[in-house]
Amino acid sequence: MSHLRRALLVAISITAIARVGAAQVKVERGLHLDADGSIRLINLVGSVRVTGWERDSVSLRGSLPKGDKLMMGGGPRAMKAFIESTDDRNPQPSTLELMVPARAKVWVKTATADIDVTGISGDLDLYVVGGRIRVSGKPTELNAEAIDGDIEVNGKPNWLRAKSASGNVTFNGSSSDVAISTVSGGITVSSVPADGSGKFERAKIESVTGAIRFTADIEKGAAIDFDTHSGSMEIAIPRKTGVDFDVASIAGSITNDLNYAKVAKGRYGRGSELVMTNATGGARVTIRSFKGSVTLRSAK
Amino acid sequence: MTDDTIDEGKLRDLMKEVAALPRTIEPPADSWAKIRAGIESTPARTMRTGFWQRPVFLAAAAVALVAGSSAVTAIAISRGGHNGAPAIVGAAPSHITLSVSDSGPASLAQFTVVESDYLRAVNDLSATLDAEQGSLSPETVAKLRESIKVIDAAILEARNALAADPANRTLIQMLANSYEQKVDLLKRTTEMARG
Repeated sequence: MSHLRRALLVAISITAIARVGAAQVKVERGLHLDADGSIRLINLVGSVRVTGWERDSVSLRGSLPKGDKLMMGGGPRAMKAFIESTDDRNPQPSTLELMVPARAKVWVKTATADIDVTGISGDLDLYVVGGRIRVSGKPTELNAEAIDGDIEVNGKPNWLRAKSASGNVTFNGSSSDVAISTVSGGITVSSVPADGSGKFERAKIESVTGAIRFTADIEKGAAIDFDTHSGSMEIAIPRKTGVDFDVASIAGSITNDLNYAKVAKGRYGRGSELVMTNATGGARVTIRSFKGSVTLRSAK
Repeated sequence: MTDDTIDEGKLRDLMKEVAALPRTIEPPADSWAKIRAGIESTPARTMRTGFWQRPVFLAAAAVALVAGSSAVTAIAISRGGHNGAPAIVGAAPSHITLSVSDSGPASLAQFTVVESDYLRAVNDLSATLDAEQGSLSPETVAKLRESIKVIDAAILEARNALAADPANRTLIQMLANSYEQKVDLLKRTTEMARG
């Protein structure tokens, strides 16, 4: 009896998979786009993969739910593509793979669809509500926004803005101009010191309750700001990096494992402060915490 | 062409009559007396002014306006990043981070001017979002509400601390940051909800 039931379940599963497969329609389009042209893509559910290539054209391939239509048009300077769903209120997943000129400006918006981008040296504007954003490479400008989705950046964008509310933001790389913000999501920043250029110049990293982890080197003359309400902060820099620190916490603890400077009582008669120079100084790092713990330490 | 239509005789007669008219005409002898009597019979209008129109209050209002706008301006300027702070530019105003400078609000009382702007923005954005939240999934709305609740708790905590320590600039900066986060989150969600 149990064998019969199992066989029945397998048969039902195979039928279901086959029906799902049959319900998907493959699409493929190609259009000319200038090497520095712009493209906008909207796919609410499913996934979007964008890859840069050394051609002046766009190739869009994917699979859509039966009945849905891929709408795509525009000229060599700018084009737009989106999925016209048969049911706007309950769109089904579409899987899209987009090849674009590496220097193109790419704008992608989804609801729950994940976005993966690699090999783009132009500008990126990526928006998800609940999906995940993952970017690898060296875009000139990268703006990534999520409501509750995670954001992961691996590389060296010249300019980076990453925001999520409850999602985590992870940045493995470096940039000369960074702003990362979350509400409860954690923030992790790790530079790539191997090539000697993985340093930060201008950065603003803030959360409300999310933990902040920063392990990176800082340029001489840099200006870096950290803010949190109650998230714990762990800031690690190479011991020899010259930094003028200004750390203040209203009700949280400050721990200095970077050098021998002592934590003092806050200037307003409450909380604690640490104003000190590490090594020769030169860069400015400001850390503000309401009640989250702050730890300074040496980066390995 | 028109010359052919002019009757020269009639025109000459008209010119003679015009020339004969007096150069001035005196008004009737009793006109001024009637006008004066009319003015004097009109009851004098009482020119009562509200207390808010009195010079002392107008001066106080002007001072308050200057102080308030200065505080707002100082905040707005400091948002651009002073003393080499990060220039958070290139996108919507929501990308701008607030950093209260030495010339910014120095007390809770001064900060309330800025706070009222934040509250107005929050109310406007919340109303817009309420109207458009149907385009977001219930899960997203729930997570958004949770995030707003987290920020509100931070605002409340920082504000209570500031009430107990009204001249603490660090607290003012933290409170402003939390408001900025809330406005930014509402703004971003509204934009996404619009599709």
